[in-house]
Amino acid sequence: MRSPRTMISIGAAFVSLALVLAGCGGQGDDAAAENGTGTFKLWHYESANGAMGKAWDKAIEVFQAEHPDVEVEFERKAFEQIQQNASMILASDQAPDLMEYNKGNATAGLLSSKGLLTDLSDEVSSRGWDKMLSPSLQTTARYDEKGVMGSGSWFGVPNYGEYVMVYYNKDLFRQYGVAVPKTLDELTKAMDTFVAKKVTPLGMAGAEYPAGQLYYQLALSKADRSFVDNYQLYKGPVSFDSDPLKYGADTFREWVDKGYVSKQSASLKAEDMGTAFIAGKTPMIVSGSWWHGRFASEIKKFQWGTFLFPGNKLNAGSSGNLWVVPEQSKNKKLAYDFIDITMRPEIQTILGNNGGVPVKADLSKVTDPKNKELIANFEAITSADGLAFYPDWPVPGYYDVLVAGGQSLINGSKNPQQVLTELGKAYEQGVSEIQNG
Amino acid sequence: MTTLTLTRARATRRDPDRYKRGVARWVVLALVAFTAALVLVPFAVMLMNAFKSPADYSGNGPLSWPESFQLDGLKTYWTQVRFEGKLLNSIVIAGAVAVLGVVLSLLNAYALGIGRVRGRLWIVAAFLLANMIPQEALIYPLYSMAKATGLYNSRLSVIIIFTVIQSAFGTYLLASVLGTFPKALLEAAALDGAGRWTTLWRVVVPTVRPTLSVLLIFFFIWTWNEFFIPLVMLVDNSTQTVPLALASLQGDRLMDATTTNAGALISLLPTVVFFLIFQRTLTRGVTAGAVK
Repeated sequence: MRSPRTMISIGAAFVSLALVLAGCGGQGDDAAAENGTGTFKLWHYESANGAMGKAWDKAIEVFQAEHPDVEVEFERKAFEQIQQNASMILASDQAPDLMEYNKGNATAGLLSSKGLLTDLSDEVSSRGWDKMLSPSLQTTARYDEKGVMGSGSWFGVPNYGEYVMVYYNKDLFRQYGVAVPKTLDELTKAMDTFVAKKVTPLGMAGAEYPAGQLYYQLALSKADRSFVDNYQLYKGPVSFDSDPLKYGADTFREWVDKGYVSKQSASLKAEDMGTAFIAGKTPMIVSGSWWHGRFASEIKKFQWGTFLFPGNKLNAGSSGNLWVVPEQSKNKKLAYDFIDITMRPEIQTILGNNGGVPVKADLSKVTDPKNKELIANFEAITSADGLAFYPDWPVPGYYDVLVAGGQSLINGSKNPQQVLTELGKAYEQGVSEIQNG
Repeated sequence: MTTLTLTRARATRRDPDRYKRGVARWVVLALVAFTAALVLVPFAVMLMNAFKSPADYSGNGPLSWPESFQLDGLKTYWTQVRFEGKLLNSIVIAGAVAVLGVVLSLLNAYALGIGRVRGRLWIVAAFLLANMIPQEALIYPLYSMAKATGLYNSRLSVIIIFTVIQSAFGTYLLASVLGTFPKALLEAAALDGAGRWTTLWRVVVPTVRPTLSVLLIFFFIWTWNEFFIPLVMLVDNSTQTVPLALASLQGDRLMDATTTNAGALISLLPTVVFFLIFQRTLTRGVTAGAVK
């Protein structure tokens, strides 16, 4: 047994070490505040070896070369930390000068309505960023005074895009003699072929976003722009007991009944769906461009490709996350300069060459054929004004309602009509809360 | 952790009749071994996946044997999160909280358990509240206070918060231990002319030292594993702790499973080492009686 004296001295050592460290922290912060003109604090949460990580690393280099007297303080943050604490951090003097933040009413919109983000409208027009972004990309960058996207001032600048498509396993398609479908009919016929051979054609994950996105994707096949405006931007009433949403839920249920989607997938996570595709067990998955880079580096055993959801003019997708400038930023000018650098063709090309979806791509500089296909498909969507955002966006907390609905559709615990009623109830309640402030 | 501790304590207890009681003892042993194996399964899975390549993990699933042993995940994790800094932060925060928490609990419990302060039941109940209130409910007041005192984004804020939270539990536990403290010892000390201060350090502390050591270890490990309050309070990467470093591997829609496993492995090691070092004290503390 150790003597009390040793225990006390160990304790004293800990405490004094703690005080020294805490002291250091305090001094460092003060110094940063004093010569604030000399440092540029930048946060984002993209992984270092992903498309955005690589492109923005290069952007930091360029920025450093153009601002030799500025010290760049870059930190890669945990997504969850920004997600949970952004409003607390931005309300304190610890806010960065520029950070990446999630787009949408519940995130960037909420912060902008609390006055925590800088209005970028003047910079956007004087630096010409608006000319680089198509209308549906601009939607998620602008928020009105209630924090509803689509109109009002610019509070963010997107640097990349994302959209939902179909990933398919070329080897399995060849093995079962299936051609790439061009219409929804051809898609169902292709899935019939797989089912006849006892292969479940479509990977699914009921416990997370994929089910909601497939339901939305199916609804969009019967929808036009005015439906999207009504559903996402509250421009008019949305009916939950007629098409297109009724078609989405009914068809989803039909696909489960026909065996296109496994009944066991109700409790699976998106990660399970993705790894099953990587393992070559699933012919197709309907999911977003965020998988593209990972599939490119991890699928070694078979050939794969992508196609747009057959027949759809509208597709789930949006701008990527936004650059936002906190109101507390001490160096807004440097933040604008950095955004400007990331919008340059050279940085956008790096994004495109690493499996990202640039907002303004120079396709001739993108070398890999798969990346080219990915970007060309995105341009096809945006040039037809076809980004329809995501089904869970309109109402805070709607994601969980959609997941519950999707699970009921997959395991058959409720019929499509009941699911739609629940989705409608939560939607209307949420929208009326937003509109009445 | 607790299951592991209990099984261990049971398995290593000496019993002279061990081989004489027949089949029942072997059944118990088999059950204990089975429980221990169940506890170890998640660790085994983590260990296996920590050394896989991402393609191997995605292609063959989490339960297959690694195709080749790769240290990339470990290296990536260490350099990407600058692990040595997080380790130091965690050791300093958990260590300071453990020591300060025990001292504070002891002083509180001395007043409540031996000093027999009026209304001590209610005081103890109030202390327990601090443990029962979910941290999410505390976080906004804590955030505002930290901001007002300039402690937001400093390790000191987390040390103060957890010293108080842990000592709430410590006070409750120690107060009931000291409530049964043998009167004879206290009277003897008083007869020898010891004051309150001397009684505390010369009589009470040496007697309950095993309990104090257990508290110290628990406070250290609990604080080490804390996630939510450090997540809110520690903004800069330079002030963050090990569990926060692990969380930084989880992205918006993607996760890097092999690096996460490697990170979990590295992050677990310090607590395991700490546990092994103090393991003897721990078992002794659990079984210690009050009177010597």
